[in-house]
Amino acid sequence: MAGFPTYDSVEIEALETQAEAILGVLKARGYACVEPSVLQPAEIFLDRSGEEIRRRTFVLTDPSGRDLCLRPDLTIPVCRMHVERGGKYPARLCYNGLAFRHQPGEPDRPAQFYQAGVELLGAKDRRATDIEVASVVIEAVQAAGLSQFDMKIGDLGLFSALIDALDVPMQWRGRLKRHFWRAGYFEALLEKLSRGGASDAQRLLAHLGNLELADSRSAFEGLMDLLGEAPHGARTREEIVERLMEQAADAASIRLDPAIARLIANVLNVSGPAPKALAEIRKLVKAARVDLSEPLEAMEARMAALKPLNIDPSRVTFAARFGRNMEYYTGFVFELWSRDKEGAVQIAGGGRYDRLLENFGAPANTPAIGCAIRTERVLAARRAQKGRKS
Amino acid sequence: MKTLTLAIPSKGRLQEQVRDYFRDAGIPLKQAAGSRGYRATLEGFSAIDVMLLSASEIASALASGEVHFGVTGEDLIRETAKDTQIVPVMPLGFGFANVVVAVPQAWIDVSTMADLDDVCAAFFQRHRRRLRIATKFVNLTRGFFAGAGIVDYRIVESAGATEGAPAAGTAEAIVDITTTGATLAANGLKILDDGTILESQAHLAASLAVAWSKDARAAAEALLARLAARERAKASHILRVRISDKIDVITKRLAKDADTTVLSRSTAGDFSLLCPRKRLMDAVSSLRAQGCKNGVTVEDVQYVFEDANPIFARLENALTGAKQVRP
Repeated sequence: MAGFPTYDSVEIEALETQAEAILGVLKARGYACVEPSVLQPAEIFLDRSGEEIRRRTFVLTDPSGRDLCLRPDLTIPVCRMHVERGGKYPARLCYNGLAFRHQPGEPDRPAQFYQAGVELLGAKDRRATDIEVASVVIEAVQAAGLSQFDMKIGDLGLFSALIDALDVPMQWRGRLKRHFWRAGYFEALLEKLSRGGASDAQRLLAHLGNLELADSRSAFEGLMDLLGEAPHGARTREEIVERLMEQAADAASIRLDPAIARLIANVLNVSGPAPKALAEIRKLVKAARVDLSEPLEAMEARMAALKPLNIDPSRVTFAARFGRNMEYYTGFVFELWSRDKEGAVQIAGGGRYDRLLENFGAPANTPAIGCAIRTERVLAARRAQKGRKS
Repeated sequence: MKTLTLAIPSKGRLQEQVRDYFRDAGIPLKQAAGSRGYRATLEGFSAIDVMLLSASEIASALASGEVHFGVTGEDLIRETAKDTQIVPVMPLGFGFANVVVAVPQAWIDVSTMADLDDVCAAFFQRHRRRLRIATKFVNLTRGFFAGAGIVDYRIVESAGATEGAPAAGTAEAIVDITTTGATLAANGLKILDDGTILESQAHLAASLAVAWSKDARAAAEALLARLAARERAKASHILRVRISDKIDVITKRLAKDADTTVLSRSTAGDFSLLCPRKRLMDAVSSLRAQGCKNGVTVEDVQYVFEDANPIFARLENALTGAKQVRP
């Protein structure tokens, strides 16, 4: 069956030897091996991951009618297992196992693959653990025998801090933060917001927003009451009124200042060798008198810490737009890229996800960072590099 | 031995409309003897086998190559199959329905997809679960929501009565088909301003996954020639008028003003012209403006057969293009 790889004895041997080298590094750095089950309750993935992951998840029903899925990655199962077992923090966990993803429209991509990885849960010092996880993964890939790779880094917190520092209407902040990594779509959004043009509903809100705060709340509540028993879904009346209040508060600034839109676009376009890219962002925000020194310094500290790791500095690139196309990342993100015989291929990827653990019952904002290594791709890249040398 | 299969809806309003459509084209549908209503024939087209299936089965039968032709809604075609599996050959002018995104009317803060995007994100933050969209159009919904940049939602597949899901508490919003919007309104729902995913109607569609023999193509060409001739006729009138002088000037002018074509003329100057139905009054005014005071008679047309058959050409093109990708 296309997309479902099989392994012969040579392949098993090669993968096992490589996995031993990778896990050897992780264990030596204090990470304990865990193995969550392959079959997971579907609910967690469907509700926590959003439709994009859902589309790529194999969902099945067991004979009793319970919805299950094949784990599409190991991060969520490992986190869930730790929280539900009442594990202690900080926790250093590692794993090596199969993950399954439906690849709609791409029958040649494997629907099943090995992931080795680490999760560092509940460690308070975010800056230090960002560095720790990135270094551990780089060392593990090097121990597997791959020395030539590029590193891409980014920080969702940096863009978030930029938006918070700018005079942007409240209701649009979330929208900008959510979509900054989507090339094309984001530019269209910026353009739309700076062009302005209010709908009738927004103009009405602008009038209501001019009322004293208490008055506008009761006006909105009155509007809601007129609708009587109409269904709300699970959104409460209070929730709707609150969003109306938020929209009304912004009604005066219905247009995004073009200078601000330009600054956002310029910052997002910064990409290149990391030190140069960061300097460029410093220059842009300084000219606009925006203070981003905290996230910029944090990024510089991460880069300084990577220096002793035998990674060529010219191969580390920073892209302001780089947010990893996943829905749970919240801060520092990174990817390692190499080449197999087909071309460029991502061999590892990870980042900070401080809002995931609370979904399973951990305290809100429990810090977490992790990274997964695609071991079969590491093997293919090693073979390609060996082929080139000989 | 039948060489081409055509699937049509087995019940409901759509079946009646399909029967009427073929009858109007002069091809009455005949129940096949002893088939208990699952098989039929088209009079005058002995090479065509008609199968009666449910509308949603028709889309999957086309996708898997069980039938050559099928009549069903574009909504079901797009939901069920990729462009490489099915080609819509011609819209049939009935079975109109829109696939739309609808939210509770009580959401007075939501009128666009961008609003829904904000609400989905806020809902997740607040309730720690995804906002649910009930629908049977899973693929159309995913594609449309991805285009609108919405990721914080979850599809709940619905088997029927989707419009009741928000009231029943099984979903917050829906994607469903609607014709007048009355059912949605009766359930306390409203369509988003930019929430129309697809304006659908019944189509005659062809499968690209089935083998098209030479005989099957010939049968398809004959059927499409008849349907195209009827379509063209429905959109046309024949004008009869006597033009006594300035014949060339008047007919050229008429062609320019009303897109007419001269079909025949007698030596006495009695003209027959084919005129697009929509341009009839343009033709009459043009004649009057040029001083032609003779009476104009207008007739309906049964068929207009032309040399070129653009509908069959579309099918041929698709079949040629699809050859390489066929398994």
